[in-house]
Amino acid sequence: MSTEETSLEGWQPQMGEDASLAEVVERAFDYRGDVTVVRADGSELVGYLFNRDADAAEPFVQMFDHAGGGPHRIRYGDIRTIRFTGKDTAAGNSYAAWLRRRAATKAAESGSGA
Amino acid sequence: MSVPLSQMWTVGRYVVTQKLRGKKRYPLVLMLEPLFRCNLACAGCGKIQYPAHILRRHLTVEQCLHAVDECGAPLVSIPGGEPLMYPQIGELVQALVARKKYVYLCTNAILLKEKLEANLFTPSKYLSFSVHMDGLREEHDEAVCREGVYDDAVEGIREALRRGFRVTTNTTLFDGADAARVRQFFDAMMDLGVEGMMVSPGYSYAKAPDQEHFLRRRRAHDLFTAMLTDAKKRWRFNQSPLFLQFLMGKKDFECTPWGNPTYNVFGWQRPCYLLQEGYAQTFQELIDDTRWERYGRRSGNDKCRDCMVHCGYEATAVDHTFGSWRGLRDTVLSTVTGKL
Repeated sequence: MSTEETSLEGWQPQMGEDASLAEVVERAFDYRGDVTVVRADGSELVGYLFNRDADAAEPFVQMFDHAGGGPHRIRYGDIRTIRFTGKDTAAGNSYAAWLRRRAATKAAESGSGA
Repeated sequence: MSVPLSQMWTVGRYVVTQKLRGKKRYPLVLMLEPLFRCNLACAGCGKIQYPAHILRRHLTVEQCLHAVDECGAPLVSIPGGEPLMYPQIGELVQALVARKKYVYLCTNAILLKEKLEANLFTPSKYLSFSVHMDGLREEHDEAVCREGVYDDAVEGIREALRRGFRVTTNTTLFDGADAARVRQFFDAMMDLGVEGMMVSPGYSYAKAPDQEHFLRRRRAHDLFTAMLTDAKKRWRFNQSPLFLQFLMGKKDFECTPWGNPTYNVFGWQRPCYLLQEGYAQTFQELIDDTRWERYGRRSGNDKCRDCMVHCGYEATAVDHTFGSWRGLRDTVLSTVTGKL
């Protein structure tokens, strides 16, 4: 998997059109940034979705909210949608960037006679 | 092999007891991650890519000890994140040593000297600092994406040894590793005076920034064969010789992901230290409800196909040692002769 693949950051799926609830939950579980879970009653919870169980008698997700609270448990049945609102912390290729910076630094050092 | 006799005895007795009890799946090493926060951002690490509020979280000592008691493994490895950044690390280690758990505190050693000077730890046969060293200075600093870390780690190791602590090294090798350079690295660590070394190929974390430099199985066999054939007698490895033979392609083992269960701020991680496919609330739930047949090479799971990492296979090697006369014979033979 390339880390330079398209990030889900900013994705606001239309449930049922772009993907099913179960698919969106899976992507949110795999996402290394905060998401906003919109409940059926319209209330929202912003935080990191760290667990889900689609096979449970009542499928649920678990989250830590961005204010430091939790874990919160939300049933699939209570979720209207999930928006990928937080920064994707796994996006980008810092190794390649570091190699480039390192090469540039060394080139600059040798150029200056250091 | 450099594992102390008392530790070998404890592990051997534990494994035999599990077998006599008919336990098919038992934990050998608890991977206890009290936090994900780290003072490095290594390219091969998939552990630290989280929002800041997750990186600020850590387990309480009580949560850690509850997990240790729940699991019952005789060895506890404390990775992370960087465990020396855990505010209660001294208290946690003291409590684990009091429980007679063999503790491997896995650290990049940047803070080691400072913490030792603060008298946070007391030397014990139960405590070993397992210092992350991915090769000689050039290779290590490149792997951790920061220059000067190798020198800091060496300074920390020297200070720990001077104070009478057990020190081992933990090396992850990536594609492109030069066998001759790794052999020089082994010499350097022995010159430094560490008790033993651990080596393992890296795992291709889906979330790690660098996806191109991890070893595939065939190349791993070639590299470890070149590294370990005619291993010098002075090299001491703090791991099973059967695992090293597996890395060289001389043994064929299957993964035992339950051998190194992982507990962190999210709970008990399914199915192993490397894959994050969900979390169980209790250790028993992890063991009972994880679909283990989905993992390991024979499962056909792509994520497991090329994995040869010690957290999956070292427990297999140890189980083989204490689970069969042949395994015991091979281990004793290799230990006595030093041949792999």
